[in-house]
Amino acid sequence: MNIFWEILVYGAVQSSVYALLATGFSLIFGVAGVVNLSHTALYMIGAYLIYTLFSMLQFPLTLAVFFSVVIVAAIALFIQHFIIRPLIDSHYSVMIITTSLALFFQQVIITFYGPADRNVKGFYEEKVALFGVVDIDGQRLLTLGVAAVVIILLWFFINKTKFGKAILAVSQNREAALFMGIEVKRIYLLVMGISAALAAIAGAFIVPTLGARPHMWETVLPRVFAVVVLGGLGSMEGTLLAALIIGYIEVLVSFSISSYFGEIIALIIILLILSFRPSGLMGKRAEV
Amino acid sequence: MEENKMQAGFRWEKCLSYGIVGAVLLLLPLFVKNPSFIDLVILANIYAVYAASWDLLSGYSGQINFGHSLFIGGGAYTAGFLNFYLQVPPVITIFLGGLVAALLGLIIGIPCLRIRGPYLALATFAASAVPLGLASVYWEYTGGDDGLYGIAPLTLNITGKYYLSLFLLFVCGGILLAIGRSKKGLILKSIREDELGAMASGINTTRFKLITFIVSGFFAGIAGAFYTHNQLHVGTETLSLHLSILVVIMSVVGGMGTITGPIAGAFLLTIFNEMLRGIEEVRLLIYTLSVVFILLFMPKGVLPTLTQGLPRLFR
Repeated sequence: MNIFWEILVYGAVQSSVYALLATGFSLIFGVAGVVNLSHTALYMIGAYLIYTLFSMLQFPLTLAVFFSVVIVAAIALFIQHFIIRPLIDSHYSVMIITTSLALFFQQVIITFYGPADRNVKGFYEEKVALFGVVDIDGQRLLTLGVAAVVIILLWFFINKTKFGKAILAVSQNREAALFMGIEVKRIYLLVMGISAALAAIAGAFIVPTLGARPHMWETVLPRVFAVVVLGGLGSMEGTLLAALIIGYIEVLVSFSISSYFGEIIALIIILLILSFRPSGLMGKRAEV
Repeated sequence: MEENKMQAGFRWEKCLSYGIVGAVLLLLPLFVKNPSFIDLVILANIYAVYAASWDLLSGYSGQINFGHSLFIGGGAYTAGFLNFYLQVPPVITIFLGGLVAALLGLIIGIPCLRIRGPYLALATFAASAVPLGLASVYWEYTGGDDGLYGIAPLTLNITGKYYLSLFLLFVCGGILLAIGRSKKGLILKSIREDELGAMASGINTTRFKLITFIVSGFFAGIAGAFYTHNQLHVGTETLSLHLSILVVIMSVVGGMGTITGPIAGAFLLTIFNEMLRGIEEVRLLIYTLSVVFILLFMPKGVLPTLTQGLPRLFR
């Protein structure tokens, strides 16, 4: 019975991180049509900022998380305004320039921090005995909680506020939204900021478990792709569902076969699903 | 009339520039005695074939492939396995490497026929990550991250190696260029610009796209297999995301949809990368930043910008 609970909890934690990352990636695509391949590089920057602020400079935790989210969002706004905007009409130009940016950020990190792993001590280190049977470290549970709260807040922001309605309007029909007096460029910036903030939060809370490494953006990128493509680019519900599917598949395969196969099986499932449903489970049709 | 004349003149200039570049490459070992520089140009020749084969699929028919390392690595590992375990001579392994990569092109091409735009890029990316994972899982056979050492060399003489790599570039690049310039290339471009329109004109776009996947895979596989015999080693770097991105960047920097552009891009970036060796700490920083700037300010690529800009300057 133990293993059942372990898979349940670990799967939820894994899924929550994927959900945070993939929602941001999917959001900026759905609204602005931007495939931002430097998204996971922003997650990496978030992780390194926590290392710098929390571990090196001894900031209090909340302040460190706050500053790293703000700095990452500022970087993303800069990218959106000066680099993506001139190329926004071409999917592939944006994809190529954002991958080059991701490589650039990786080099910045290697230049300043070196290629070695950096570890951060847990924010909450006590073991928690969940349901009386599973011993799970508090850090993972904290990550799960934060991710759930952030995603619920995001859902409310998008569906219940005026800004959120403007975002939805732009994603449904850009020209019509423009005619209604919505400043589309500003909405793009807002969404890019939110998307980057989600990546930074994911990076901030994952760093005590995984450590900060200059290659972390590459290892997570295929999985984010997998989640986003499976759920359908631009669909929040689809992304959450897909994050659960991929997260649990990975954990199940890691527990039953080997952790290496987790990713491979996830990717093969993606390819199969894409062959039958070319725009994911609940996705927008891509128009090129 | 005027336009016709201009085009004829343009073509003449183009032939001359090909001739000059070809002659320089052919005569290079006579003037340059530094073996590390020759090694660099050998590498540039191989990368040029990677980029040119990518360009046929992505630049011409518009199927942006973010997982070209699937084909390159497929060819490289085929050659590596055959030579390491069965001692098959390099000439045969290189050809078989190309065939296996062509088969991979067919396998990945079929599901990719229905996928468009960013989904295609993400799917090809996902596909290329599968063999990378498999290489780590079956490390007993593949050597894991270190790869397999002790692959037979093509020839021990560096000048011979250089001419073989040049032969590879001339043959593969020439065939790809000929396809691009032919009517088939025009059909591929029409698929890129307006797939429905191409279909309505009676073109079997499915067949053309699939064949392009296979041809692109074949040449990438041949170059990958050549790389294995050049390095005497096959490792996960041939399957990595980095390589896929590098190929895309080289092609876009050079100028997509021209075959010659990506070849120029491969040479430019390989040599630029080497020139920065003096400042090792910030080398890749400057390199990646320059790529971002080139993409931002010359979205068409360096070669088209130059070939269109220079005549205007001198007129």
